[in-house]
Amino acid sequence: MDELKFRREAYENPHRQDEEFLGSMHESSERTAFVNDLKLLDKKLEAALKVEVPEDLEAKLLLNQQLHQHQVERRKTGFTLALVASIAFIASISFTLLRLAPVDLGQHALAHVYHEEMAMKSEQNISVDEVNTQLASLTSLNHAHFTEQPGRVLYSTYCDFQGVKSIHLVMQGRQGKVTLFIVPLEERMVLEEAFADNRYQGMGFKADNAYVLLVGEHATDLDYVRDEVKESFI
Amino acid sequence: MFSVIRNKKPKKSVNRDMLNKQRRYDSLVRALHGDLFRYAYWLCGDKHIAEDITQETFLRAWRSLESLKDDKAAKAWLITILRRENARRFERKQFDYSDVEQADIADHISSSSEENMEQHMLRRQIAKLEVEYREPLILQVIGGFSGEEIAGILDLNRNTVMTRLFRARNQLKEILDDTQTRGRSNG
Repeated sequence: MDELKFRREAYENPHRQDEEFLGSMHESSERTAFVNDLKLLDKKLEAALKVEVPEDLEAKLLLNQQLHQHQVERRKTGFTLALVASIAFIASISFTLLRLAPVDLGQHALAHVYHEEMAMKSEQNISVDEVNTQLASLTSLNHAHFTEQPGRVLYSTYCDFQGVKSIHLVMQGRQGKVTLFIVPLEERMVLEEAFADNRYQGMGFKADNAYVLLVGEHATDLDYVRDEVKESFI
Repeated sequence: MFSVIRNKKPKKSVNRDMLNKQRRYDSLVRALHGDLFRYAYWLCGDKHIAEDITQETFLRAWRSLESLKDDKAAKAWLITILRRENARRFERKQFDYSDVEQADIADHISSSSEENMEQHMLRRQIAKLEVEYREPLILQVIGGFSGEEIAGILDLNRNTVMTRLFRARNQLKEILDDTQTRGRSNG
């Protein structure tokens, strides 16, 4: 190794351990002294570079991170809280608005029939007493009830008419089944005397304390059930 | 009921992850804060700024601790973050610290003995080195990095790094020899 290369490598890193470098270092005592000189410089450099580290720096770094973490968590919970609050707010507003909107009973009745296909398949025999028990639980009906069995009742349940609890019955007509809704009187309800779509026909009338809606496939059935109900429902 | 069971498990493991992360961070701080602070100090030449940079660095490290896959590479990783933080300082505010640094550097360290005098002088000379020469030297001497590693950190090729190390030592040695011979002839 020539002198220039040797010196260069020594300056680059006097602590090199590769054999070529060490070999040429041992070639002469001058070279060894030269490298030792540089090693001494490195020692001094190391000491000089090691400036004092502030004593509290470690604690500060740890604390800083804790505070940061704390803030992130607070921001997160704050955000979640705000999100939940605004969702609840929107929900309550829209719910109130929906409840105030006028309800087209006829369309709603049709939709309800389509929605509850199960009801049309029911073949139960429900007694007038059972229906009356359900009616009695609707306080807004003012004790409206059936005085006698209004023909065969195949299905009976509570249902929801745009937030108003109502009764959903399926009765046997002459030709087919007729769905009957008994809805407590409420101002925003809009009653249509007759309504229909491609499949079903419907009619509505107002009893003493309730709207009664009938939906069926045949007009004759509707008339038949209406007469039955008008006689027995007070 | 299912949801309760389902929710419980991830929560526990999240907590465990958090705890692991915390431990990892704590040990990184303990082991490396000194070197990082010193590196920052020699980059900017001011203890307070160095402290700020170190804090920013560790905060950033905490946020992206997941991206550090190999703990052995932690030092190089942190130094890379630190260098970026230091560069950002210049983007944010164009303060000229360079005038202050040479005058201020290490002045508060009392230099009573001759050894301290020499160290004091050496520090001034290191601070006077061009930052291009200073950085690889610091990485080699106190970071203990090899030429390749330094090249990786500084994003230079190895030959450039070696040349800069050569010049850095060469300059410092010349100055040191110079003052020593002058000192001797004066005394």
